[in-house]
Amino acid sequence: MTDLTRRHLMVTAAGVGLASQLAAPAIAQTFPVRPITLVVPWGAGGGTDATARIVGSLMEKEFGQPVNVVNRTGGSGVVGHSAIATGAADGYTIGMITVEITMMHWQGLTQLNPDSYTPLALMNEDPPGVQVSASSPYADLKALADAIRANPGKLKASGTGQGGIWHLALVGWLGAMGLPPSAVPWVPSNGAAPAMQDLAAGGIDIVTCSVPEAKAMLDAGRAKSLAIMASARNPQFPNVPTLKEAMGVDYTVGAWRGIAAPKGLPAPIAERYTSVLKKINESKEFTDFMAARGFGVKWADGAGFAKFMAEGNASMGVAMKAAGLARSA
Amino acid sequence: MRFNDLVSGAILIAVALIVIVLTLNFPAFPGQNYGPAVFPRLLAGLLMLCGLVMGIRGFAAWRAGEPLAEVPSWARDPANIVSALLVLAAALAYIFVLDAVGFVPLTLVVLLVLFLWFKVRVPVAVVTALVAAFGINWFFASLMRVPLPRGLMDWIL
Amino acid sequence: MTVDILFQAFALVFRWDVILIILASGLFGMFVGAMPGLTATMATALLIPVTFFMDPVPALGAIVTATAMAIFAGDIPAAMLRMPGTPASAAYTDESYLMGRKGQLDLNLGTNLVTSVLGGLIGVAILVLAAPALAEFALAFSSFEYFWLAALGLTCAVFLATNDPLKGFASLFLGLGLGTIGIDPAAGFPRFTFGSVELMQGVSFIPAMIGMFAISELLRGVTSMQGSGEVVLQQVGNVFKGVGGVLRRYWVNFLRGSGIGVVIGALPGAGADIAAWISYAVSKRFSKEPEKFGTGHVEGIVDAGAANNSALAAAWIPALVFGIPGDSITAIVIGVLYMKGMNPGPTVFLQNPQLIYAVFMIFVLANLLMLPLGWAIIKSAKQVLRVPKNILLPMILIFCVVGSYAMTNSVYGIIIMLVLGIFAFMLEENGFPIAPIILGLVLGEMFEQNFITSMIKSDGSFLAFFARPIAGMLGVATIAIWLIMLWRMGPWSKARPAAV
Repeated sequence: MTDLTRRHLMVTAAGVGLASQLAAPAIAQTFPVRPITLVVPWGAGGGTDATARIVGSLMEKEFGQPVNVVNRTGGSGVVGHSAIATGAADGYTIGMITVEITMMHWQGLTQLNPDSYTPLALMNEDPPGVQVSASSPYADLKALADAIRANPGKLKASGTGQGGIWHLALVGWLGAMGLPPSAVPWVPSNGAAPAMQDLAAGGIDIVTCSVPEAKAMLDAGRAKSLAIMASARNPQFPNVPTLKEAMGVDYTVGAWRGIAAPKGLPAPIAERYTSVLKKINESKEFTDFMAARGFGVKWADGAGFAKFMAEGNASMGVAMKAAGLARSA
Repeated sequence: MRFNDLVSGAILIAVALIVIVLTLNFPAFPGQNYGPAVFPRLLAGLLMLCGLVMGIRGFAAWRAGEPLAEVPSWARDPANIVSALLVLAAALAYIFVLDAVGFVPLTLVVLLVLFLWFKVRVPVAVVTALVAAFGINWFFASLMRVPLPRGLMDWIL
Repeated sequence: MTVDILFQAFALVFRWDVILIILASGLFGMFVGAMPGLTATMATALLIPVTFFMDPVPALGAIVTATAMAIFAGDIPAAMLRMPGTPASAAYTDESYLMGRKGQLDLNLGTNLVTSVLGGLIGVAILVLAAPALAEFALAFSSFEYFWLAALGLTCAVFLATNDPLKGFASLFLGLGLGTIGIDPAAGFPRFTFGSVELMQGVSFIPAMIGMFAISELLRGVTSMQGSGEVVLQQVGNVFKGVGGVLRRYWVNFLRGSGIGVVIGALPGAGADIAAWISYAVSKRFSKEPEKFGTGHVEGIVDAGAANNSALAAAWIPALVFGIPGDSITAIVIGVLYMKGMNPGPTVFLQNPQLIYAVFMIFVLANLLMLPLGWAIIKSAKQVLRVPKNILLPMILIFCVVGSYAMTNSVYGIIIMLVLGIFAFMLEENGFPIAPIILGLVLGEMFEQNFITSMIKSDGSFLAFFARPIAGMLGVATIAIWLIMLWRMGPWSKARPAAV
């Protein structure tokens, strides 16, 4: 799409937004009258796609209108996030935004940030774990940390692309131990599943992805999880201690997913969405699904989600600058 | 257009040079020698080599009397050129106005224009275009959930 | 495994509702596969909301059946319109299309159908018998091994290039170059995007393929249309005629193709499309008459047609045993497995053996069902060719546009289609082959990413590429092939082969 048409669309969108504000209550009562598009910035088969599809099918039941889940992939998530932000703010284009929205702009990949959206609901958050191969000599996190200290730069870690959330988790954990990012060089991968495979193949030593992403390999007895970077244990994995329990380091981080609309969504429609999403978030179908995959359920309404993202955005900025990953656009 | 290999080779070398210039501002990968610029530069080098050999080959052919460029036989008939341009124009129409006009209306127009240019009888053209536009929209948009733009359809439905 | 479990599985599968679901999803898969731009992966993603409300066996059965059909059905538009329906058919699209032009459309589609069915069955047999062992092998692949696999794949380009190796190599480098557009796979830096958000997603493979094969063919079609109302070709024959002879003659090819398909399909980093490329190139390399390849010759189609369907079943091996997706389809399947409480892992065979064996039975059933369904769809698809050219060509254009749009869900797909369509048209006019460009697009990222990540892992030491047993073997094999080829191309070679 050319810049010209995009600008045109945005102007139209603003116009629609204004018009709908005038007749807002009436619209909110009848909303939606036609199919809704739910944009997912990541590919079919991943955790974000799976979460979006269950939310979409439950929304379809609530609204009585089709909800089309549309994967807009590529560009490390920039393409999809930008499709959500530049969509028409009439309620018929929404999307699932992910933690990357608080990171990509620090990397200089885009101008988009949490303020580019109307936040509707936070649905999920997963902390990373520290996974090593089942055949690795490190029985617990302390042993691993000692090995890193003794031989900085020798062990290699992976879990996502360069500057992705799990990369930052690693850097954050190293920082909390007083170590520089170079103590464990990062091997970029196309996501958690290939990284876990590489771990089992012996290509790398550590994977800092979320525990649900590592679940299959843990169940297969090919990998072990030494700790999670959260304030409390995951009820699905009660044997995995927190960082604080394992070695007294207080560092927590997480990858989250939430639903957002383009900026300027009329307030009545936003409220309608938030109430429906709250119902979904508490529904048995949703919680059962998330539990089956080992995903954490989390809830915040529009205002809470905005605050949550603003805090995350600020701390990501600090972390990424410290890690040397920040770049100006 | 059919070009002598001298021209093809020169174009390859030019492309390779542009690629190398563009890679000059690529950042290095932190902590190692092989960054984002390595692979494109390697390819550019190999392309240049191909271009060079091709150029030498083409030069010999040119000296032997082959023209630098010749117009292929199909392009001597203006009707064929219009046909080709119409296909390209149709694709361009989708690129520029699909989002605004919507899939069904645009497809109706594109199909009608092409059918009539290719001398399909008018009633056949109209019926086929209508069936195709609505049928494809039904299969892809409703059944397969491809978000084909609705555009003007929003006013009708 | 006891007979008891087999009976339980049998009872789970042979129920009228399950059979109905399998039939319906089979038809669905056929349609999706035959439409360019709609892929087996999309079919699976679309089935997910439906499978929410099903029991595990019909849910997985629907996915198994739909994807198996889609991979075969992709061969149909490839042969008839030079428009591969799914990426797995790209390797032999030209060969199939040329066979059709020679009047061997029936033989081509019949061979495609039968090798797909038999290749799929071999894949299932290996999945049932050797899943744990093969999964163990696949799990040993790290970036070093994948780097050599990609290098080996790129070597295929040499066998694909026909009469002008120089232009073949130039095409390969152009394809690899196109693949570097977008976020780079290692550092995450946007390359050659000129600030465009759309370009950050890179050159999407399917719109590129539609553009380079179908649009350039369309341009040739409209510029060679003499008079109106002309019909492309008329042929109503028996699809299966002559297929038996082909199989008797090329049974070694069939077994080799299926074998390559199973091994590559089981690797998490490579799927049905790469399996088709490699098996096609291997077929040409070991053929007694390699000069016939690229002129509409059935031999390579036996290899590749079997390979992509056996790869499809083999992709389930790492998915079931380790929860590691073998391709994008099984990535979605793993989600369904979790949802249905069949957590993947070695224990899946112990916890719910009747469910797994029921799924295997459906695999067999789906492949058998492919024979009548495929026959019916070929029969009806051939009616398309009775449509006069002046109606058919504009319709093909619309399908190209919709297919490209569907892949990126935006106009960007149409832009790629158009630009690369014109590009390919110009290249072909000037004697550059198209297949190596597609191969470059398929393998470029895999090659580069695995090189750079390996260098990070080894702290910049090249020796690491030979330090692991499988990597060392693959590496030595690749280098040996290159050396032999260079030796043969050298001036001292007396018998210079026409088409190396």
